[in-house]
Amino acid sequence: MEIMNDILRIVQDRGRNTKKTHLMYKANLSHKQMKSYLDELFKNGLIEGDLSSENYSVRITKKGMNFLVKYIQMREFEKTFGL
Amino acid sequence: MKIVFTPDWFINNDVLIEAFSFLILFLFFLFALKAYNLSKKRSVLYLGIGFLVIALGDLASIFTKLVLYYDTGITSEIGQAIITSQIVSTVDIFYYIGFFFHRLLTLLGLYAIYKIPPAKNKISSEFFLTIFLILVVSLLSHSFYYLYYLTAFVILLMIIFEYSKVYKKEKLVTTRMLLTSFIILAVANFTFMFSKLGPIYVISQNIQLVGYVILLVLVIRILKNGTKEK
Repeated sequence: MEIMNDILRIVQDRGRNTKKTHLMYKANLSHKQMKSYLDELFKNGLIEGDLSSENYSVRITKKGMNFLVKYIQMREFEKTFGL
Repeated sequence: MKIVFTPDWFINNDVLIEAFSFLILFLFFLFALKAYNLSKKRSVLYLGIGFLVIALGDLASIFTKLVLYYDTGITSEIGQAIITSQIVSTVDIFYYIGFFFHRLLTLLGLYAIYKIPPAKNKISSEFFLTIFLILVVSLLSHSFYYLYYLTAFVILLMIIFEYSKVYKKEKLVTTRMLLTSFIILAVANFTFMFSKLGPIYVISQNIQLVGYVILLVLVIRILKNGTKEK
């Protein structure tokens, strides 16, 4: 969950189409790992883009942005209680 | 025996304050449930259950007080006939059970919140002893009302001690707000011990209200921070 949130944040911070290489560099993940996380995010409708092409790029969806907000709130709630 | 210490002019206000507390506690439960759905951390779920149990305790008190304040039909019959004495004892049992659940659930919920930060500890025999003692205090508090407030005060002191460790570690503003509200709730429970002196009950209720308002501000802050950080 933490890694998926990190990926979403990177895509969100970029503010436009984020390329595979940029994501791999920022998230410090291998191509294989990155692909599996992106597939999961794509399946849940949190990101969009053509993952089938060799040099793919992705962008965050509205659902992804809402998820990010909720995730930050929930993390802050947990941290408040030291969890 | 006096069932509640609410002065006549304050009747309804105490129910309103408890209804407000119930909403805040329920809000924390919903928050914890949402957080659990995301992180699947059991400790978050237990924390939510702790808040829910206190909220249910508040609900028991609200419901009992509403019957006590508004069911004049039954109480006006006191002292009329043999049937009346049966009604009175039935009503007594209702109040007894209502306030018993209020005390029991509140203490259990507070204990759950206390146990959460060191959640790594497994359930021990000490846990069952504490539950037993909470049950005994809830029963005895019917005759010695201050026992309940004293126990709640002590558990709150333990909560403050635990969360001050959390605060020292992370220095988060939200944890400081949480600590402040627990300190205020502890002060309220301390003053509740002197409820027999009319105005003290009202003062304690208002102190408690301040504690819950801080918890509400804390929720608003967390919600706002989420949108800001995005």
